[in-house]
Amino acid sequence: MIKITNLEKYYKTEEVQTIALNKLSFEVKEGEFAAIMGPSGCGKSTLLNILGLLDDPDGGSYLFNGIEVAGYNERKRAQLRKHNIGFVFQSFNLIDELSVFENVELPLIYTGVKPAERKERVHAVLEKMQIMHRRKHFPQQLSGGQQQRVAVARAVVNNPKLILADEPTGNLDSSNGNEVMDLLTELNEAGTTIIMVTHSEHDAKFSHRIIRMLDGQKVTENVLV
Amino acid sequence: MFKNYFKIAWRNIWRHRGFSFLNISGLAIGMTAGFLVLLYVNFELSYDEMHEKGDRIYRVVADIDTPSEKIEANMAAWPVGPNLQREFPEIIAATRVLTAELPVQRGSLKFVEPLAVAVDSTFFEIFDFQLLEGDKDEVLTNPNSLVLSETTAKKYFGEEDPMGKTLKIQDQGIAAKVTGIMKDIPENSHIQADLLISMITITQPPNDYDVQWGNYGPSIYILTSKGTSAESLQSKFPAFLEEKTGDGMREDKMFVSLFLEPLNEVYLHSTRGGAITGSMSNVYIFSIIGLFILLIAAINFINLTTARSVERAKEVGIRKVVGAEKNQLVLQFMGESIIICLIAFVLTVGLTTLSLPYFNTLAGKTVSSGIFSNPENIAYLLLLALGIGLVAGIYPAIVLSSFRPLRVLKGQFASGNKGILLRKGLVITQFTISIALIIGTIVIYNQMQFMRNQELGFDKSQTIILDTDSSLILEPLKNEISLLRGVISTSFGSSVPGAGNNAAYSEIENINGDMQVANLDLYFVDDAYIPQFNFKVVAGRAFSKDFASDSTQAMIINEKAVQLLGYNNPEGAIGAKYDQWGSKGQIIGVVQDFHFRSLQEEIKPLTMRMDRNATNLLVIKAHPQNLKQTLASIENTWNTIVPGEPFNYYFMDEFFDRQYRTEERFGNLFLNFALLAIFISCLGLLGLTAYSTIQRKREIGIRKVIGASVSSIVNLLSKEFIKLVAIAFLIATPIAWYAMHNWLEDFAYRIEINWFVFVLAGLMAILIAIVTVSFQAIKAAIANPVKSLRTE
Repeated sequence: MIKITNLEKYYKTEEVQTIALNKLSFEVKEGEFAAIMGPSGCGKSTLLNILGLLDDPDGGSYLFNGIEVAGYNERKRAQLRKHNIGFVFQSFNLIDELSVFENVELPLIYTGVKPAERKERVHAVLEKMQIMHRRKHFPQQLSGGQQQRVAVARAVVNNPKLILADEPTGNLDSSNGNEVMDLLTELNEAGTTIIMVTHSEHDAKFSHRIIRMLDGQKVTENVLV
Repeated sequence: MFKNYFKIAWRNIWRHRGFSFLNISGLAIGMTAGFLVLLYVNFELSYDEMHEKGDRIYRVVADIDTPSEKIEANMAAWPVGPNLQREFPEIIAATRVLTAELPVQRGSLKFVEPLAVAVDSTFFEIFDFQLLEGDKDEVLTNPNSLVLSETTAKKYFGEEDPMGKTLKIQDQGIAAKVTGIMKDIPENSHIQADLLISMITITQPPNDYDVQWGNYGPSIYILTSKGTSAESLQSKFPAFLEEKTGDGMREDKMFVSLFLEPLNEVYLHSTRGGAITGSMSNVYIFSIIGLFILLIAAINFINLTTARSVERAKEVGIRKVVGAEKNQLVLQFMGESIIICLIAFVLTVGLTTLSLPYFNTLAGKTVSSGIFSNPENIAYLLLLALGIGLVAGIYPAIVLSSFRPLRVLKGQFASGNKGILLRKGLVITQFTISIALIIGTIVIYNQMQFMRNQELGFDKSQTIILDTDSSLILEPLKNEISLLRGVISTSFGSSVPGAGNNAAYSEIENINGDMQVANLDLYFVDDAYIPQFNFKVVAGRAFSKDFASDSTQAMIINEKAVQLLGYNNPEGAIGAKYDQWGSKGQIIGVVQDFHFRSLQEEIKPLTMRMDRNATNLLVIKAHPQNLKQTLASIENTWNTIVPGEPFNYYFMDEFFDRQYRTEERFGNLFLNFALLAIFISCLGLLGLTAYSTIQRKREIGIRKVIGASVSSIVNLLSKEFIKLVAIAFLIATPIAWYAMHNWLEDFAYRIEINWFVFVLAGLMAILIAIVTVSFQAIKAAIANPVKSLRTE
């Protein structure tokens, strides 16, 4: 599903050029659950941004479902992204001015789903995440765990093939964190490919494979299953 | 999708109520000001547009060359109208229009009609003033025919039908018959009349106005046939004048040329004056001010919206992550700005409705009776609102939609230098405009003060003028009033400073001993007039009862007239012969120049003669104490001597200052707009400081942790903005100097623009800016630094 080869990314400040990704290569198959680990500044987040089509690599190849997307412009990336990729963030990133229902509905609006169908699908996913009763509430009225469940609901409402999770349990206590990990595992079992960046060895154990990075390069790869 | 946009827009507006209030009210105030200016400009441009044949109507005006001067008159000689119509087939009709003040009576009802106008029978053929009753070809054909405006008809006849009834025109001693009723003439016509009287009433024998080629009085208007070129018609006038009055012109040494002024240029473009004139430069000035205020408001909107973008950045990031494309976001934010503008539009409608009466008073005319009276107005305003929404919304929309999603979600928000430069540029623009307007206001105010306080060369205090319309009652009135307690002195005159006066064809002996021809201003006075006004006699003597010949053969002139005649000093003119309007005699005295017109005009040569029959004003000098009582006893005396006659009086000082009403209005409008401009600019500055302090929260926190004081932080934050205002001041100064220098050129007597004006304006702007900025800066400086550092 995802194949990157010799991927490169640089960050330039006024005088210094930092290498974020240094000829990184790996592959993630459809239906896989991969965890990416490494110390701060090793390039995990940069990688996730590129995989999520939010950023452009400076070199190398990125095949998404067999299509080369490395040279895509923003418009094309957005098109591909909204139909295929869901995001889950450490800080939830819900829109404060929108209710739970409206937050989850948002991706459907951007993919042009009709209102009636939107309602149906949002309700279905809220039921699944067990936050249906909170659908009219605003993010500030929810606990962290609930907020992250809304975020997961929003990530999956479009039935994406790929979910990118950036330290999804980083802001949660262990019981809420476990719930979210269970949710992700369920989704994975239902066929969704998941790539998760994490600092937590505990969380990483939910995945099939751990890719460890340092200084923009892959150091090891442990297959868990 | 739009529902979602709308929802989030509304929730955003509501959640940040204070901020939205700044934004929306700034916009609404700016739009209201802009809209009022639009109404004003529209109204000024609409003058004389009501005539269907307007493009074929011209005013005929004359330039008169005398050996002494060139007079650019807004009228032509009496016979010009009828003769033009007779001689030129391309002229379909001509009418003379002569405005006079007529005392009109019906039974016990007596009024002085200031807008009684004599016109030829062709008046309604040329102009499309609407006749409600009477046939337009006949109403003014016969002598003693009257057409009344609706309002005037009601005044005299109430609910009765006025048609066929008569009104007495007192000083003409005639009874005139009402032959027609017309709709009140709209305010945006430079020809105004409450009552029309047929011209033939005045011109019929034994009067011989129709052959007096040297006599000027009425304005003349012609209607040409379709396809007539004004230039080619005008080119035939010299031959026409030569044929009709060539010998007369040579004999009088007054050479006339006739010109055509298109009707739609008379009000705004003619430089020849008239009772009702506008000023194209004022139209330009206000259009520019209106645009400036709209610009300031739009800039505000841009600045405040982009300032808020820090807080919106996260939302943009999320939307992008879940699939929003850039153009969808642009659309969303544009939509939001349009929604805000629509709210501002509703507010503007309300504000305009509330402020329109005040604005009408300021403008001195009913620019609009209400914005709902003309649906077009609302449409304009709506377009304006949408336009501003689009124009002002596009920049914030592009900025917001360009945020890199991951960076903003990680809180690494920083806007580029370009954006900051642009915002600074916008603030400079706002304050440049504001400071220029402040400078303008101060200059206008100074000039007004100067005109009011300028030494006029005569004493206008505690002087009451009675307008009697007739010289016959003057003597008994004077005798009685002189006896009243509180009255110091009385005199007669045909005019007083600040009022219109006669201009007479004059021949006066100049330094070479020739009889120099000139058209000179003329006051008829009595022997008490000169001492009463305290005019200074610089040579010879004033009129005196002791010289019997003074009443028929004596003239007094001013210093300007002395110069005109070429004498080196006033004494030289004493004894010079004159011949004026059938009277011959000698110059017996010279008075010091005094301002008998407003200070906008140069003092002109003036002649004064005694003629009891030509005077109709009684000038009363009263004691300052008990002025009210004195006035009451004067009115009593009036009522005993001329019972039933309307008591018309005015105070000399107020009357003279009335000439500056236009300038005063101009100044007031200017002041109001300047205040608005600075107010809206400050709203913007407030928003921008808020933005900047949010941006620099971390920096402020760090500075405080390492020991910075509150004042040093306030200083840090304020400095940047004060610098902008200072730059704006530097830009505004030369612009304002140039503009106001030009404005002052219109005044013959004017102030010098003092450097202090600029300093004052600059200090005011900086002070206002400091107050505005400190508000936010202090708030940021006293905040707990730990809090701001933790959020990073």
